[in-house]
Amino acid sequence: MIEWIIQSKESLKLIYAFIIILSCFVIVIKTNKLFKLSEHQGIRYFRNAFFFYGIGFFIRYFFDLKYFIFNKNYHVLTTFIFEYFLIMGGFFLLYSLLWKKIESAGEEYFTSLINSKVLVFYLMAFVIVGLDCIWKTFYFMFFSQIILFAILILISYNNYIAKGSKGKFLKFYLIAMIFSFIAWVLNFLAALTFAWNPGILITIYLLNIIIFLFFAAGVVRITK
Amino acid sequence: MPKKRERLEVIKDILRAIRETRSIKPTRLLYASNLSPQMFKEYINELISKKFINIDIDNKEKKTFSLTKKGQDFLQEYKIIEDFVDNFGL
Repeated sequence: MIEWIIQSKESLKLIYAFIIILSCFVIVIKTNKLFKLSEHQGIRYFRNAFFFYGIGFFIRYFFDLKYFIFNKNYHVLTTFIFEYFLIMGGFFLLYSLLWKKIESAGEEYFTSLINSKVLVFYLMAFVIVGLDCIWKTFYFMFFSQIILFAILILISYNNYIAKGSKGKFLKFYLIAMIFSFIAWVLNFLAALTFAWNPGILITIYLLNIIIFLFFAAGVVRITK
Repeated sequence: MPKKRERLEVIKDILRAIRETRSIKPTRLLYASNLSPQMFKEYINELISKKFINIDIDNKEKKTFSLTKKGQDFLQEYKIIEDFVDNFGL
């Protein structure tokens, strides 16, 4: 089985990316409609998170024409753009849960993607990607995402305890955050100790698919 | 002690109060919203800037609030919005 997976890994990667991009697309479309209706900032940042994830995966797996253009520099560029969008997705997800404590009532923003508070995240993501680029590694991204998802686990656990009966999806949100945390730890271990072991990578891909499908199903179910 | 209303709930209450009377004077809306004058002002400014309500001024300079189409749509879909915000901890 693992042999077959390894042999057809390029096609499976495309299917993997397609599932995630499709999930993000559904989430963005549905939440955008809800945001237009409510002007709720939390919905806006939640939508932005999946917008960034979707674009990131699209660039990494479809825009990266490494199957047609054998240019290593081009592949490195798309990898770091992917990293940037992935980090920003995580930051927006965090901010969607924290915005109420940070923003004051009636603050107006002229664009959906940039404001003075979120600008800090853009700069942080830029620094993280820059450091990875200079050191030719992914460890700065792995560290940042492990810390980020540890915080997200705490916040979603608090939300689940505080509002468990009111929001049935909060339990799945918490599970998704735990899976994300595990996926990033595995990513880190795969790079550091296991020389990108295919078994670990397959586990990461499966976890990611489950996480994105969780969110897509939750969004569709609530907004139907 | 009664539970503090969530922001979304306050907005719904204000919009509902306006819808019930079609157009309402600021003082009556302030009483109906059950907010402090300061908070009321903040919410009203936000609702005007987000185009959920209109402020109408008549010949005698008297102000009344009315609901926009966007405000009506918000009330109609309120349950879904509230569910979404609760379920994703937003």
